[in-house]
Amino acid sequence: MANRIIYIIMLLGLLTATSSMAQDQESGNWDTEKIKGTRHFPYPSYSGNPYLTDKFISGEIDFADGEKIEKLFLRYSTYRDEVIYFNRGISAQIVIDKLSISGFTLFGDDGTKRVFRQQYFNGFNSGNRFFEVLSDREITLLAYRSVVLQYCPVYNNEIGIVKNMEYVPSFNYYLYTNKDGYIPIKIGKNPFLSKFTKPNQKLVRKLLRQNKITIKDEPGMVKALELVEANRIAINF
Amino acid sequence: MKEKQCIILRGGGNSYNKKKIKVRNYPIIVFLLLLSLSGRSQEKENFKLFTDRDVYISGETLLLKVYAPSDERSKVVSVDLINFIGKKITGINLETNENQSNGTIYLPDSLSSGTYILHTFSRSETTHTLKEIYVANRFSGVTETNTLTRPSGEKPENDLKLSTLQIDKIEKSYKKRENGFVELNLPKDLSERLKGNLDVSIAKIIPDYNSDSFIFHTKQNLAQGNNKEGIIIEGIVIDKKTSQPFKNAVVTLSIPDSLPVFRYYITKSDGHFFFQLKNYYGLITSVLQCYDKTKNQPLKIIIKNDSSLQGSLQTLGAGSLSPGIRKVISRDIEAVTIRKIFNHQYIKLLPLNPHKKESYPFYGVPNNIVYPRLFLDLADFTEISRELLPGVRFRTNSRIPSLQLLNSGSAQYFIDQPLVILDGIPIMDLNAIKDLNSKKIDRIEICLNERFYGDLSFSGVLAIYTNSPDISRYGESDELVRYTMNGIQPKSTLNPPPDQLSTEPDLRNVILWEPSVIPKPYLQFNFRTSDITGKYRLIIRGKGTDGSIIYNEKTFEVN
Repeated sequence: MANRIIYIIMLLGLLTATSSMAQDQESGNWDTEKIKGTRHFPYPSYSGNPYLTDKFISGEIDFADGEKIEKLFLRYSTYRDEVIYFNRGISAQIVIDKLSISGFTLFGDDGTKRVFRQQYFNGFNSGNRFFEVLSDREITLLAYRSVVLQYCPVYNNEIGIVKNMEYVPSFNYYLYTNKDGYIPIKIGKNPFLSKFTKPNQKLVRKLLRQNKITIKDEPGMVKALELVEANRIAINF
Repeated sequence: MKEKQCIILRGGGNSYNKKKIKVRNYPIIVFLLLLSLSGRSQEKENFKLFTDRDVYISGETLLLKVYAPSDERSKVVSVDLINFIGKKITGINLETNENQSNGTIYLPDSLSSGTYILHTFSRSETTHTLKEIYVANRFSGVTETNTLTRPSGEKPENDLKLSTLQIDKIEKSYKKRENGFVELNLPKDLSERLKGNLDVSIAKIIPDYNSDSFIFHTKQNLAQGNNKEGIIIEGIVIDKKTSQPFKNAVVTLSIPDSLPVFRYYITKSDGHFFFQLKNYYGLITSVLQCYDKTKNQPLKIIIKNDSSLQGSLQTLGAGSLSPGIRKVISRDIEAVTIRKIFNHQYIKLLPLNPHKKESYPFYGVPNNIVYPRLFLDLADFTEISRELLPGVRFRTNSRIPSLQLLNSGSAQYFIDQPLVILDGIPIMDLNAIKDLNSKKIDRIEICLNERFYGDLSFSGVLAIYTNSPDISRYGESDELVRYTMNGIQPKSTLNPPPDQLSTEPDLRNVILWEPSVIPKPYLQFNFRTSDITGKYRLIIRGKGTDGSIIYNEKTFEVN
């Protein structure tokens, strides 16, 4: 009898919980209608990857109007600088209208989080671009993950067709502040040091050595930038 | 020892029913009980509605302040003006900030003299508040008979009058058009007890007439969609043959605008649909349509109007208007009539808070925009499509028009008909556009790719904007309903009083209305009396952290 009472009470609790969840389902009906876009046509097949990831991965979209939709299947096209969303309801790959979103976040299977932000780029080939935000502090370190299609030595693809083009990654890095805009930077100790005045270069070199930071990859670059900001050493924009 | 850790439950006095529940289960039971009881705590607070006055003349604008319950989830509160049988006359929707809001209701000239009710409610609350007011018709005067039909029923908790909410520097009497000021002092302990803003007002009162407020319990289930901001439009789609709720119907909502608004909802087994309109102000004219995604079944769309209390107000009492009140009302009628003659506007709208709007139409940035007026006159849409619209194939065979668009992605024509939009409203019947000539059309926007809008896909989009958009051209049917609704009411304030030396009469009944005053230890307000003599009341009001309304008031005469 006592167990029965417990079961009844637990059932009531469960019903309460499910009734509140019903509202979430309603919000789903409201949210999906926000995504606007066009059908994604597959890119020409060449060696290399025109996408950032091999498959659709979990992500969320930040819309220009401030709304956010989570738990979407997303893929970033580094070739066309566009976000593709897989709509499971209608089994369609949709290129989300760039104008409608302000950014997106991708979550890797290993729990990594990659944040992309749409910003206006005023340099060569100006326009709105998706930049990956590697470090978001006073000075932001941005990466523009692009892939270019270029000629290459002739090769045969998996089914034996002769091809002479390939997708080649071409990543560009920028230091950015709202006030000063973008300055291009390359991964490496010397390109990093070149962004400081002569007296400060010595100081930065010493700090990097003391903190055992090597700038050979993106995490190293992020650590170095954070160290410089923590020590309030000015970067020349 | 183990026996001591048990609680004995007794069932119906029968000793055989004695059972033991282990102590470790006890916290679960307590937790679940608390969970189920948590919903009941909402009953403690109700909506509180306060108006500038209790008696009005038709053609006047009523000022109101609403305090919503602290746990109110909906960000929108509705206030409807209803007559004593519960029929809605007019209504407003207000956006709440810190569970408070203020607004205005215009009392139509056509109202006959008598008692009316302000019905305050939201989607998430089943307990509504009713407040009675008296409206005298400007043309026919007060009621011929001396008796009044007045509502009665369960009354809310009394508000708490606090003398510590000090009102200073107010005189016992003022002359006409005299400047005055009032000081309000809030002790520190009182400021800490307040939640949100205060409202301060000075308005003319009619002695011996007090309107009442009542609590009204409803069983209407409006729980769905209550956790969002904005206006909710809801309804149900039924199968026209069986009158049963229809599943998988696509309901679309279109609002013609400079950038047309389009929303859709796919119904579930209960046939219900909801639309949320956030940041929509004023009167909204929309078109609701529905269609069956799979079988082309005839459907019927029914919009749910949840605010009507017709037939629900059963308890009515009686009252009367004393000769003194009738005399004051007669004078007020004259004042309002003169105000109308001089076209005095005492209320002005405040600018809306800027919010992000769509930067392009819901159907995407068009590939091509054509202005037919820039070309030769073309007789009908077939000619326009042939001469001016590359990638658009509009043909009429055996008087049946057909339309196909070119898919720029595959360089082939779509098989299906594209989404056709006429002045912001999607249309199914191509006969509506076939006779449009180049003089009638302002511009044509074309999207030559497969467009997606949520789960809906369109085989291209053709949007036509005419020179004379008219929503009435869409004939209403079971599957198409034109619907006009109130958006959020923009905020308003009192206009400053006319110049003190002006020869025009100053006939304001409300001389101070500050509905959102940030509480401070010391507050000061300036006012100027009008040409209307009589008794005025200054009232300062706020909501305590415990949910109770606290206030203080003082009256003075204007001679």
